[in-house]
Amino acid sequence: MSDSCGNPATETEALMPRRRKFDKTKICVKCKTNPGSLIIRHAVYCKECFVPLTTHKFRRSLEPFVNAKPDGPRRTALKPQGNLLVGFSGGLGSTVLLDLVHRYYVVPDKALIQDDGGSHHPRHERVWKRVVVGYVEVCDAFPSMVERMSDVRAIMEGYGGFEFVPLRIQDAFDPCWWKKIGRDPVNLGVDMTDEALKLLRLEESTSPLEAMRSYMASLPTTTARSTALQTLTRVLLQYTAQANDCSHLVLGTSLTSLAVSLISGVAHGGGFHVREEMQEEWTADQSSDREVDVAKKATKRHGLRIIRPLRDVGMKECGAWSWWMGLKVVGRENWEWPGFKPGIGALTKAFIVGLEKDYPSTVSTIVRTCGKLSPKGIVEGKCISCERPIQSGIQDWQARISIRSRHNGDEQAPFEEVAESLSPFLCYPCRITLTSRSTRPILNPFPNSNHDVSLTPLPMWTGRVLHPPKTSGSEEGDAEIVVGRTLARSEMKNAVKEFLLQDE
Amino acid sequence: MKTLNERYDYGLELFLLSIDEGITGYRDDSLETVKRNQQQYDMPLKILSYGELYGWTMDAIVAQIGKKNNCTFCGVFRRQALDRGAAMLNVDHIVTGHNADDIAETVLMNIMRGDIARLGRCTLICTQGEDTIKRSKPFKYAYEKEIVMYAYFKKLDYFSTECIYSPDAYRGHARVFLKDLEAARPSAIIDIIHSGEAFEVKEEVKATQKLQQTCKRCGYMSSNELCKACTLLEGLERGLASAAITDRGQKKFAAEGTAASTENMRTIPFFHMPVGQTVDVPPGNVSSAPQTAP
Repeated sequence: MSDSCGNPATETEALMPRRRKFDKTKICVKCKTNPGSLIIRHAVYCKECFVPLTTHKFRRSLEPFVNAKPDGPRRTALKPQGNLLVGFSGGLGSTVLLDLVHRYYVVPDKALIQDDGGSHHPRHERVWKRVVVGYVEVCDAFPSMVERMSDVRAIMEGYGGFEFVPLRIQDAFDPCWWKKIGRDPVNLGVDMTDEALKLLRLEESTSPLEAMRSYMASLPTTTARSTALQTLTRVLLQYTAQANDCSHLVLGTSLTSLAVSLISGVAHGGGFHVREEMQEEWTADQSSDREVDVAKKATKRHGLRIIRPLRDVGMKECGAWSWWMGLKVVGRENWEWPGFKPGIGALTKAFIVGLEKDYPSTVSTIVRTCGKLSPKGIVEGKCISCERPIQSGIQDWQARISIRSRHNGDEQAPFEEVAESLSPFLCYPCRITLTSRSTRPILNPFPNSNHDVSLTPLPMWTGRVLHPPKTSGSEEGDAEIVVGRTLARSEMKNAVKEFLLQDE
Repeated sequence: MKTLNERYDYGLELFLLSIDEGITGYRDDSLETVKRNQQQYDMPLKILSYGELYGWTMDAIVAQIGKKNNCTFCGVFRRQALDRGAAMLNVDHIVTGHNADDIAETVLMNIMRGDIARLGRCTLICTQGEDTIKRSKPFKYAYEKEIVMYAYFKKLDYFSTECIYSPDAYRGHARVFLKDLEAARPSAIIDIIHSGEAFEVKEEVKATQKLQQTCKRCGYMSSNELCKACTLLEGLERGLASAAITDRGQKKFAAEGTAASTENMRTIPFFHMPVGQTVDVPPGNVSSAPQTAP
């Protein structure tokens, strides 16, 4: 029969030999008896071995950091100083994370946890008194995005045992939310038409939704909008964690996602934050009475530990876990709008995921390499936008490598100027996010909205710029005062004439 | 370099140094450009070929090992060839035309392949070890576009082509990715360089890195008894080139090291630092290595 459809002998030879996806055998490398069901970086695993392998990786990345004093491979009982916040996005990684947290720390799954040591053994005590799940709904950021809050709520109700804290991305601009978590709201804005980023106090109160959309529309590139959404989401979760007396915030960043965010962070100029990208300990500035009380109660309390327990579990393994455990993945909306072109984050994701198919060890190599790096230089403070450290001397660095001009500052600002410039309070990536432009025109996602780029609202937490924490090295008057003006062509030529070569 | 040297009376004695990898249809064309440069600038030119130094051209290497992994040989051989060419010219400073795009690409490449030692030093403008000639990259912050624009307006000879043996190399993927990033946000290139300058290798990791020594066979700097170029060359000579690329093969060769008989086998001439080379003395001679499509 087959002969009638051509010459099979010839066609067999004409085919390229298929590259084997596994190293030696189809039998599971761990138990060496069952046929394998999944290939992870050339090694074959059966389902029975895959489950303990994944849970081991999960616990190995989380449990050594639960106690106040990180103790490496855990020997003692887990006694965290506060509650746990799980950051949930609806994506694959956070769905798997939520499931694992539920199985281990909310309703212990006896199939996974060895029941030894007696029923009253400290091992069987509940680790975190409260496990809170924070979900940030971003559907209002761009048009045509579908709201998934009800789907997420249904998942939480399905699990049981979690406290659900629903948030919206515009909460970052909402004075009521800011008050609710015990802080004093200050409406600040920034003039985005000028690279100096002049700070303004906004008297008119717009709605949080309008403020958020105005902020997003003012950002100069697609990359900046995606980065801003990520940052807003993360910082919202951090403040929520703090408001709920959490000592730990866990995020569902898989090995693949971590490699993407590390490379993407490097491409954003965030080399100084490589360590934070993997794991960080964050402390909010003590600017409210409530916080001071908390600080008094527990003077030895560590900051909020932001941990990515799936950092050793690849996207493929997350997919397998989700499939075998029958989890429902709500999915994450693509952050796109009419005329959207992919930014650095989307390009990096496409590149790394594509690379992982041909070079499966690349993501692991990226994460391991970045784990061997530490920030270079002195920390100058904390960025008021992303809450991560500011590297000292970045303004000098920028001035040294490029010729920069500033706009005329003669025009009267319609609002009170509260500081000359936002720049000294921003880390390098955040500064680039607000100022770096593209040759591609960027469309406003909401063309009918009236937003003024010179009066762009800022997230509520930037208000602490008015009360910067005093550090030993800083004194009043240290802040940069930028008196800028537009340079004429002749002045610019004078400045560089020494370096111009004569025409032949 | 020549214009600035004359205008500001740097007092530098400049040489042109070019490496001929022996790739027909790639390097032979660019070498014609280099020879024209020699005429235009009236500077002494040294062309050092892989054939002269190692006894193998890249064409011959590819004929033996195929197109896979040939970039490993080319990269290792070129680095040594530059130092050896500079030593032959008795210069004490090499400047190369690596631009911002090249540096950004190298930062990404080193992260992706886990080359922690190079990652720690690839963003330095100036590098110098005890046993190497000082190297500088004055175009570190200049975009490739700026350099092409300068060459265009100044009507300079500029040669750029992709190596015929590396169209699918890992570096090629990284370069395409970088160009996409630049299109999305032009500052991405300089931002990657900033990132590279903002981190360093942890002290505890540095402590585990191998100490630098000199190759027992050729005298060039090495982290093993045999340097990588000698290992690769030995692999070629013994017909085991592919084995020499792997870590296991390199360890095996290094273990055999100097004990292995080098009779009937081509080896690299012993490396001597240029006479009078010291770290403190300001550079007298600068070798301007023409950089075409790195």
